Amino acid sequence: MISQEYEFFAPKELAEALAILHRFAGKARPLSGGMTLVPMMTLGVAQPEAIVSLNHIAGLDFIVETPEIIRIGAMTRHRTLETNTLIRRYLPLLSEAASHIGDVQVRHRGTIGGSLSHADPAADYPPIMLVIGARMKIANAAGERWVAARDYFKGLMETDLRPGDLLIEIEAPKLAGRFGTGYQRLHRIEGNFPIVNAAAVIEQGFRSARLALGGIGDRALLVEIEKHLRNGFNDAALDAISDAAYAVAKDAPSDLNGDTEYRRAMARVFAKRAVKLAAAAIPAN
Amino acid sequence: MRVPIEVTVNGKAHRVEVDTRTVLADMIRDQLRLTGTHVGCGTGSCGACTVMLNGRTVKSCCILAPDVDGQEIMTIEGLADDPRHLHPIQEAFVVNHGLQCGYCTPGMVLSALQLLNENPHPAEAEIRRGIAGNLCRCTGYQFIVKSIEAAAAKMASKK
Repeated sequence: MISQEYEFFAPKELAEALAILHRFAGKARPLSGGMTLVPMMTLGVAQPEAIVSLNHIAGLDFIVETPEIIRIGAMTRHRTLETNTLIRRYLPLLSEAASHIGDVQVRHRGTIGGSLSHADPAADYPPIMLVIGARMKIANAAGERWVAARDYFKGLMETDLRPGDLLIEIEAPKLAGRFGTGYQRLHRIEGNFPIVNAAAVIEQGFRSARLALGGIGDRALLVEIEKHLRNGFNDAALDAISDAAYAVAKDAPSDLNGDTEYRRAMARVFAKRAVKLAAAAIPAN
Repeated sequence: MRVPIEVTVNGKAHRVEVDTRTVLADMIRDQLRLTGTHVGCGTGSCGACTVMLNGRTVKSCCILAPDVDGQEIMTIEGLADDPRHLHPIQEAFVVNHGLQCGYCTPGMVLSALQLLNENPHPAEAEIRRGIAGNLCRCTGYQFIVKSIEAAAAKMASKK
């Protein structure tokens, strides 16, 4: 039993959910999978005045393709992202990342929207969102807006979401055909949050390249690597990427999983591994 | 705040009035008196409270009871039609000493069921990954893995 009283709402329409969130002006929490929020409430760490369940609203759980883009409803469960054929084909980084989250039970219930709204700085999705060039669709009682991933993550568990806002969709360009991708995470126990994670996307001929790291600051951060790959993929490029990762990780947190210097060292290692994987995965033709 | 909900548990329709602060595991145990679902950590780590929600395993300590209105749940009690005729997974756990104290067992068995539903012939590594969300503090997992291997073989031979 959760000790703190709260009002519980299970609206069937998105508009109704947004109206309730608006009315409570930040004192209500949207509930998706609840894999973080419910334990936080059980422990008394989160004490919302109201809970607005999104589990009974139709139309927030979908994966749709257009010629260039994959659209993902915020209520899509991790397990669906892990196994869905469209995601595996066009955004393999995302299915790979989803497969590492928690355990089967957690992946059955937890959602991408919930995870991205919580915005843990070492979660699996944030670096992926940055390198695939995702956009987030945010709705509130007044309307909707799109926010690019690089503007979405603001700080420690802070995003562009403001009181009354709800993340309802994520979209990203299809990455197939001419891109190689790689995802690497450091963990001591499978299913735990990574200590450091790294995602890379590299285009054929190194025309474009992106790398992002998680667990190395108050949020996931992009590392500028394109310029280092201009003269091709070689040891000098990898050394420069390693140095760039080390520099970006300057404010890495210090805790029982590793101190700042350890995380910065691991940022080097995992950045290189992700880039190597991505480079090796670039289609030949 | 109390709300009425309708929920199907093990094929039987129930109307229950729940305090909105109740988690699903507590509703199942305290209100429906189905005490096969166990609560270990209460925060989603141990998997003792695993049940099936609309045919997929979930941790019932991390789901609010009012949120399962209109949904379908299966607990460990729903696995065998008759307590005298155990499900092959349950039988395999008995025969292969897949439990000592039994606290984690209902969750282990349901995770095994989920795994074997999707993957009837799992490799050992896949079994270990399939029960990664369930902690056992007695057996060290060896006999649990062996039990699931035996259950897989038995269920495959029956088909």
